[in-house]
Amino acid sequence: MATEAKGCKELFSEVIETGLCALCGACTGTCPYLVYYKGRIALLDNCALLKGQCYEYCPRTYIGMDVISQQVFGVPYSEEELGTAKEMLMARSTDTSMREKVQYGGAVTTLLSLALAEGFIDGAVLTRTSDDKTPSPFLAQSADEVLQCTGSSYMACPVLGRYNQIPKDNGNKLGIVAMPCQVLAVAKMKKDPPENRASIGNVKLVIGLFCTWALSPDRFYQFLKENLDLSKVKKFDIPPPPANRFDVYTASGRTSFPLEQIRKFTMPTCTYCLDMTSEFADISVGSVEGIGGWNTVIIRTDIGADLVEMAKKKGKLQIGKLPSTNLTHLKEASLLKKKRALNEIVKKSGDKNNLLYVGLSPRLADKLLA
Amino acid sequence: MANIDIDAPGTSQLLIGNEAIARGALEAGIGFAAAYPGTPSSEILGTLAQAAKEMGIYAEWSVNEKVAMEAAAGASFAGIRALASMKQNGINVVSDFLANLVMSGIGKGGLVLVSCDDPSAISSSNEQDTRPIAKWLDIPLVEPGDFQETKDMTRWLFDLAEELGTLCMLRSVTRIAHARGNVRLGELPKKQLNAYFDQIHDLKSVMPTTFMPIPSPLRHSFLHMKMDKARERFEGSAFNRYVGPNKADLLIITCGSCWLYSQDAVKALKLEDRVGILKLGTLWPLPEKFIGEHLDKSEKLLFVEEIDPFLERSVMEMVANLPPSSPRPIFYGKRSGHVNAYGELNPDRVIKAISTILGLAYQPRDIEYRKKAEAFAKSNVPERTMTFCAGCPHRATFWAIKNALKLDGRGGVVTGDIGCYSMALGPTGFFQVRTMHCMGGGAGVANGLGKLGQFGFDQPVLAVVGDSTFYHATIPALINGVYNQSDFILVILDNSATAMTGFQPHPGTGMTAMGEPTKVVSMEALCCSLGTHVEVCDPFELKGTIATLLEMMAEGGGAKVAIMRRQCELVRAKKEKPPYRVHVDPEKCIGEACGCDRLCTRVFLCPGLIWDKKANRSKIDEVICTGCGLCVDVCPQGAIIKEAV
Repeated sequence: MATEAKGCKELFSEVIETGLCALCGACTGTCPYLVYYKGRIALLDNCALLKGQCYEYCPRTYIGMDVISQQVFGVPYSEEELGTAKEMLMARSTDTSMREKVQYGGAVTTLLSLALAEGFIDGAVLTRTSDDKTPSPFLAQSADEVLQCTGSSYMACPVLGRYNQIPKDNGNKLGIVAMPCQVLAVAKMKKDPPENRASIGNVKLVIGLFCTWALSPDRFYQFLKENLDLSKVKKFDIPPPPANRFDVYTASGRTSFPLEQIRKFTMPTCTYCLDMTSEFADISVGSVEGIGGWNTVIIRTDIGADLVEMAKKKGKLQIGKLPSTNLTHLKEASLLKKKRALNEIVKKSGDKNNLLYVGLSPRLADKLLA
Repeated sequence: MANIDIDAPGTSQLLIGNEAIARGALEAGIGFAAAYPGTPSSEILGTLAQAAKEMGIYAEWSVNEKVAMEAAAGASFAGIRALASMKQNGINVVSDFLANLVMSGIGKGGLVLVSCDDPSAISSSNEQDTRPIAKWLDIPLVEPGDFQETKDMTRWLFDLAEELGTLCMLRSVTRIAHARGNVRLGELPKKQLNAYFDQIHDLKSVMPTTFMPIPSPLRHSFLHMKMDKARERFEGSAFNRYVGPNKADLLIITCGSCWLYSQDAVKALKLEDRVGILKLGTLWPLPEKFIGEHLDKSEKLLFVEEIDPFLERSVMEMVANLPPSSPRPIFYGKRSGHVNAYGELNPDRVIKAISTILGLAYQPRDIEYRKKAEAFAKSNVPERTMTFCAGCPHRATFWAIKNALKLDGRGGVVTGDIGCYSMALGPTGFFQVRTMHCMGGGAGVANGLGKLGQFGFDQPVLAVVGDSTFYHATIPALINGVYNQSDFILVILDNSATAMTGFQPHPGTGMTAMGEPTKVVSMEALCCSLGTHVEVCDPFELKGTIATLLEMMAEGGGAKVAIMRRQCELVRAKKEKPPYRVHVDPEKCIGEACGCDRLCTRVFLCPGLIWDKKANRSKIDEVICTGCGLCVDVCPQGAIIKEAV
């Protein structure tokens, strides 16, 4: 079953007004009506089209997981906790100068820089934290520009709007670094390529990030602004459990907020998200519980495998084995997110058979709901 | 506009009603004329200003109607005949002064007020009959029924004003003001005017001359005496006349343009020997004797007049006071429903009323003929709603306002005002304007909305106002907002023109009505002097304008000013060539396939852009497009291309 053909009216009634919008940006960029502004998708005027790409590629409108998985991996949606994967490992950049700026091991920055240097991609759509510490989408076209995008703000950012803005006659090969919701939207685009935009076939590399939830770029930013001198902030971090902190690093040291205080700023939609590890990416990257300075890396596709292999060969990435306890914890956490989210979805829809946007096989749905 | 200062007595000129008024004023020897533009009155001062230097008189566009009337009164106090003209709304603006002026009386120079009403509100925000104010103020009121009368009445009214020592009023309507007819010219006075404020005007009196309404009860009784005298004059006036049989089946009582409709109707029905027409030119005080002499012409009276039942009610009052033995006619008119109680009249409506009363079969105009006539009339008219001109800066401003309000997301409210931009309550301004009343009213309303924070109100408030309207009536509202810290943004749409009424100069233009350069009253200097945040934007810089509005809305904190400055396109286009040559790239515009849902021709709606049904894409209408280039920033495909000329 494919996403039904609907327009922006339904996008608002089914997604935005129900708190499901993830601010992924897939509906913005080309559309003159839908615009991202300060943590909201604003509708500038009445669009009367009955069928819109805004609705079609939204990661919170219907997704047939098997169909999408078939498109990306050639197999139906995996019942494994971490989705389809070729290999799970630990990695960190061999460039020690980078480590202070990057999140954990710097694997994403390293892989992107390599992909650019090797001509594997010509540019990458990333999130850049601007001077006022608001995240904004950015098309990086050099290693230097990739470096400008290191670190995470943990706030949602409409990255896909930047992809949509690329002129349709532009043939440059692209990489995208995305949150799980955004990776879903890209997977939808791969299944049914958008019209009047740069070809989705140009997207050669999707690096997905691990995500348990993202923070509201509006409300959380206000909170930060009220509690910190944002101009002095160097880096944000949520260290893996059991730290339970949100850390802000400045030149003078670290300020921490208890995670409980931060959690109220999470995007409501994250409650209904099943995907912790960007299951439709070429490569998924996150932290490693208990081991600082390293990244967990899940290689999912041949493209992902080739790139990591090249990084290893060229001495850009140091690769390690992911300890089995870490893998077990990661799987547990991922499964827990799926179960929780699906139960929340049923609570929201009020019907065990209505999983809102999630198109799972009944068997897997029952298993997760059990 | 016609030359109203032709010195050729006895010859006939084709003049519109407003020119006839101006000519009448010149023949009366006025030295001073002041007005604020407003359709259908604008050509009165317009033509006087044109002739002013030649005629040695002074004419000005005043900042508003109240100042115009007060200035004209000043001239009268110094012995100069003076005229103030305005549309119906101006009468409201000036009424406080008038209510005091009638008590003080005028000076030695005759003072005449011309009010042009706009039945059906063809060019107005409201439909309003100003005749009742004459009753309210106790001033003589006349209304001309054709173009010759228009000129002659105006001339005569100055004599009457001087004789009575009171302000006199002439009421006109759109179909007199803007229609054209033959006028036989009279003499133009040659005498030199001398202005002098005579401190002791009465040689027997040792009291200094004062013009003030006190002691009011005494002065009120004087005013009534003046009105009694006016009535005497009106009883014998040639502007009132009866045409018809001695005994009629129906007596029409009418005035103004309705006299013309009544004559047409009676003629069309061939009822000249059955229906009489009593035409009144002097409406207030009512010439009761004259009317009484004709009341026994028929048992049935039909009142044909536009907007309010002014004559109908006045004659009813009069009849109620007749001796018991007098005939009691039946009244037909607005009260009985035979004549519409609002909107313009026309001969057909009068024909219908007469036919109904006399029990004749009403023959509406042949339907086939009507259809043909309408089709013919429409054949050369483009199919579109009221719209801003191609290249109009207001379209850019409202595009910016719309987008800024949507991005802000708090449901911001735009209060509107009087001018071209009033149309922003419709599709051409993207339905942004939500209130619209009188000059300056939008800023006043914004003052209230902007103080509702304590009741949970957090919607941004934008008051849009034109440049001329800003000077006219908005400054006190802005001062109030700054002083009382009302949270709104006054958005001044400064197109450097009083565009709606025909590009009359105003205090911001650096030009007087008589074409002399003058000081520019800087609106930003004026606003800055209030100590408030003032921004000046070019609305064609859409991104910057939207960003400025968003910042101003976000910061809150009392009344602020955003000036949207770009010259009216009609003014610019008269002086310069188009800045760009604009075309739609047929490769890039992919029409219905775009996903923009025809943004440019469905939402943006510049008349310079048209939807080519055959090609299924947009194109530029080269005849209409003024080459402003704004649409280039609106097309999401970058399909509209501008090249500098």
